Amino acid sequence: MDTKWKKKGSGKWIYFGFTLIPVALYSFFYVYSVINGVRYSFTDWDGMSTTFHIVGFKNYISLFKNPNFWGSLKTTVCYSILLVAGVVTLSLALSLSLNSLKKFRTFTKSVFFVPAMIGGITIALIWDQLFYRVVPLVGQALGIGWLSQSLLMTGKTALPAVVFVHIWQAVALPTVIFVAGLQQIPDEQYESAKMDGATPFQRFRFVTFPYLVPTLTVNLVLMIKQGFTSFDFPFALTGGGPVRSTEVIGILIYNDAFKNMRFSMANAEACVLFLVVAVFSLTQLKLTSKGGVHE
Amino acid sequence: MKLEKEGMGWIILRNLLILMGLFLILFPLYLVVINSFKTLEEAGKDFFALPSGLNLHNFKELFQNNNYWVFAKNSLIISAVSVGLILVLVPSVSYAIARNFNGKYYKGVYYYLLMGLFIPSQVIMLPVTKLMTNLNMLNRQGLILLYAAYSLTQGVFLFVNYIRGLPFEIEESAYMDGCNVFQTYIRIVIPLVKPMLATLLIMDLLWIWNDFMLPLLILNRSKDIWTLPLFQYNFKTEYSFNYTMAFTAYLMSMLPMLIVYCMGQKHIIKGLTAGSVKG
Repeated sequence: MDTKWKKKGSGKWIYFGFTLIPVALYSFFYVYSVINGVRYSFTDWDGMSTTFHIVGFKNYISLFKNPNFWGSLKTTVCYSILLVAGVVTLSLALSLSLNSLKKFRTFTKSVFFVPAMIGGITIALIWDQLFYRVVPLVGQALGIGWLSQSLLMTGKTALPAVVFVHIWQAVALPTVIFVAGLQQIPDEQYESAKMDGATPFQRFRFVTFPYLVPTLTVNLVLMIKQGFTSFDFPFALTGGGPVRSTEVIGILIYNDAFKNMRFSMANAEACVLFLVVAVFSLTQLKLTSKGGVHE
Repeated sequence: MKLEKEGMGWIILRNLLILMGLFLILFPLYLVVINSFKTLEEAGKDFFALPSGLNLHNFKELFQNNNYWVFAKNSLIISAVSVGLILVLVPSVSYAIARNFNGKYYKGVYYYLLMGLFIPSQVIMLPVTKLMTNLNMLNRQGLILLYAAYSLTQGVFLFVNYIRGLPFEIEESAYMDGCNVFQTYIRIVIPLVKPMLATLLIMDLLWIWNDFMLPLLILNRSKDIWTLPLFQYNFKTEYSFNYTMAFTAYLMSMLPMLIVYCMGQKHIIKGLTAGSVKG
């Protein structure tokens, strides 16, 4: 289909020109850095000195022997599971509620979306204050011991507290994605299900749910990726502490590279994270390009 | 109609859930707003009460002694220039790819740019800091180039699919009328992809305005090039005792985006939904 004007002249070169700057920028600032990152992970560079040596898989071997790395990996998995479970349950419940709301629906939806507008760092810092000044008051009023002190200070409660703040922001987008999915369900399907005498639960299970499956998978993958690459929230709320209890892999990489002067080790950690995220992204790409998802 | 016979239990549960959601979102924001109008003493007395009057002391302090406008200007410049650059680069490269998808080179470029989908930001975090240090580009210009480069993956993914779905006939008739590729792109294709341009604008503006990690790596060394997120974070360590002042800083950092949201919330929600579902 594209032979007609190509013969006419400069079309080919204009197309080619369109690709030049983007490819150059991307190659230099992105691909080159990724290659360098992988390269550094096979060296003993501390990030500062002028010389370094290739050490092969030494970083990876000591990484897999390092309990802190496994601890961080476990923290990251816990973080992601809590995040995914919290966000998916809440956004599903909220979207079903929103969708059946008759009054104030647009207003409510707008308010629910507000957290998506605010930066992670602002939200984290606001909640940092609230965990210190407000949440303990609630704990005291209810007589709950663990809630009466700052949740970020104790190892057991710090991780759920950080995830809570992340959920506070992250729930907005999946909620409106689910609402968009719900609005595609034709009313007739509900009508005929009712005529057949279906209970509300059956209607949810056999009419609503099938429509939600594609959106559900998208939301799941989005959230898993967000969980595994989380940085802003733990960084601003706890910096990984107390006693490494919130040290997700993003924080571990940052601390190892810039605080512990283990630059090449941190690059090895990043490469491991890369492999994990690549698997999830492949799934995402497969799901979204299949066209199973509607707006 | 479908709800008429739905049980009372569901309606109560539903309303309760929605009210709780509204409370959990609005109450923290309410606390931020009221306490930014209080002095430390006043907030210490009652954290939850409305301020006694319109006390603008914190705002004056923020504007006059804390360089708020410098940071706001940095955020604005970086966001505006980056997004402007992105809006020029992404549609044009996507158009070239979409209309030459049979060509080996263009298909190659497409998958090359798509590779970024698989790579988490933590992988480039360290090498890119080294790269920018070596290039002497730990500044706003450097950061803008990084944003332009990192936005390509998702932007191209969205745009190529969108353009390939557009009918080719309109462009063809433009060629018949003697337009070349560039003229056709500007006059015919750009108007057709306007909805996608809006999506891209919203997604990337929000990302860049609120981004913390890249400014932390690239701009943290000199105070006069900090963005608002960086300022807030560093403010925490500098003024941890003065928390009403901190609330004022948080309020003034989210206000610009919230105003934008108020003006175009319908488009913003639609754009972000479309962007995340497809990207």
